[in-house]
Amino acid sequence: MERNEIIEKITWIFREVFGDKNIVINDEMTANDVENWDSLTHMLMITKVEDELGIKFKLKELNRLKKVGDLISIVESKLQ
Amino acid sequence: MELHSLQFLAFFAIVFALYYIFNKKKMVQNVILLTASYVFYAMASIKIVPIILLMTLFFYFMGIEIDKWNNKGDEDKAGRITVFTIIVGLLPLFYFKYFNFFYDSFVDLFNLMGLHFHHSVLKIILPLGLSFYTFRLISYAMEVNQCSINAEKNLLVFATYVAYFPSLIAGPIDRPNDFIPQLHTNRDPKYENFVEGLKRFLWGWFMKICVADRMTAYITATAVGVDNGATMFLVALMGPFRIYCDFAGYSHMAIGASRMLGMVSAENFNHPFFAQNISDYWRRWHMSLTQWVTDYVYTPLNFKYRKRGKMGMIMAIYVNLFVISLWHKATWGYLMFGLYHATLFIPIIVRNVQAKDLELKWIKGWILHPINVLKAAGVYLLVTIGGIFAHAETFGDVVTGFKSWFAPWGMPSFYDSFNIGVFLFCGIIVIIKDYLDEMGAKYSILKSNKPIWVVLGLIVFAVLIFFLRGDAPQEFVYKQF
Repeated sequence: MERNEIIEKITWIFREVFGDKNIVINDEMTANDVENWDSLTHMLMITKVEDELGIKFKLKELNRLKKVGDLISIVESKLQ
Repeated sequence: MELHSLQFLAFFAIVFALYYIFNKKKMVQNVILLTASYVFYAMASIKIVPIILLMTLFFYFMGIEIDKWNNKGDEDKAGRITVFTIIVGLLPLFYFKYFNFFYDSFVDLFNLMGLHFHHSVLKIILPLGLSFYTFRLISYAMEVNQCSINAEKNLLVFATYVAYFPSLIAGPIDRPNDFIPQLHTNRDPKYENFVEGLKRFLWGWFMKICVADRMTAYITATAVGVDNGATMFLVALMGPFRIYCDFAGYSHMAIGASRMLGMVSAENFNHPFFAQNISDYWRRWHMSLTQWVTDYVYTPLNFKYRKRGKMGMIMAIYVNLFVISLWHKATWGYLMFGLYHATLFIPIIVRNVQAKDLELKWIKGWILHPINVLKAAGVYLLVTIGGIFAHAETFGDVVTGFKSWFAPWGMPSFYDSFNIGVFLFCGIIVIIKDYLDEMGAKYSILKSNKPIWVVLGLIVFAVLIFFLRGDAPQEFVYKQF
């Protein structure tokens, strides 16, 4: 899957989980930039990314996520 | 040695002077901190020094081992070593803190089954601060395993992190990621650090001896052999605020002492009684413990059970609160306390109430809006009820605790009007300060660092502390945990 396709998919997931149809994601985005992104919705978002893209995260990978760019990179590396 | 004793002031003054005489040499500063920490610890009891020493050495070498396997790319082996390290690290805590509880519970169980065993006659005393530094050490092993920090090669720095005296006996539980890097820098004397630290220290002292100790004196004298429901309810209502002034007071003193030494310690309280629901409350109360348990217990569990959605979250919350209650004390009362608080989370998770929704209300609205005040009062009442569980040893104590509220109500006894006057006056000052801080006010009490205001403020608080202190200084409540 191309990076652009991944971004498109994650954008759709963000809009669904965080309940905001206008979210546009970028590499530098963090939980502070999205109104409904907290510890509760974070795990819902991660689960949806796994289900929609058919991948599985490790807890260590999750702990290293600092911004949306990290999430995109990990997904990309798992789909290669 | 208590942080609010004159003995500690003298001890701290010596450490402070030596520390800044050698401010160009970070390693000498660490030697001073480490020596002071071990002297501080040995003054409580020399017998407990070998425990912290052995634990420090064990985690030091295991940290390097975990790092080695992570660097070799064998994360599974690093993970297994981490689990082994944590289990061994928990053994002293299990022996000193939980042995009697589990032993006696098994004896009760066997006796119920008709087998006759005797209860333990061994009186095991919990070494001071063990729960706190064990959690610091576990945090270190976890962070090295997760590669968020490298293993600390410098034994002096590592030992100083573990035994660091201002927060050794009752926290805050400092995390290695934030704390260890500070020990690798020279700490120069700075006016701002000194003033901020001194203000925090005095403020904590004020909370502790002018409010908490005064309330303790009233509660202890009032609550014995009273059959007046109103008095018992009033005493229970005073409970959470008393513990807050005691424990947040201690935390302010520890953080303030650290700040004077140029060190930034973790925050522990964020005006918990402005909380709008129970989840908000736990984000503001004993934050360094809550954050610790959230990161190392809740998140991994929530991750493991993520496919179960909200059910998985609820399960993780129950385990989380179970660990928090067991961390305090192994009693049936505390286990009920954990169960009770976890259950209060269910409506929040089911309704999906967002933390950020609550924050937004503060910004857009007015804190003293009647709905906000009602919600905060509701949370306070829920916490008061939780206090009945926490103080109980057995289920019978819980029943007695609640029953006492429903005894015939009469006029509560106000036997010592001076004492009551002092803690009401000083308690109101605490509430006003928390209110101003919660609003993010620029003019909050103690905010200014201009020398004239600092000197005046310090004189006012020194006078208040001197004249309004309780007659019988009490130990810090959280020292027992």
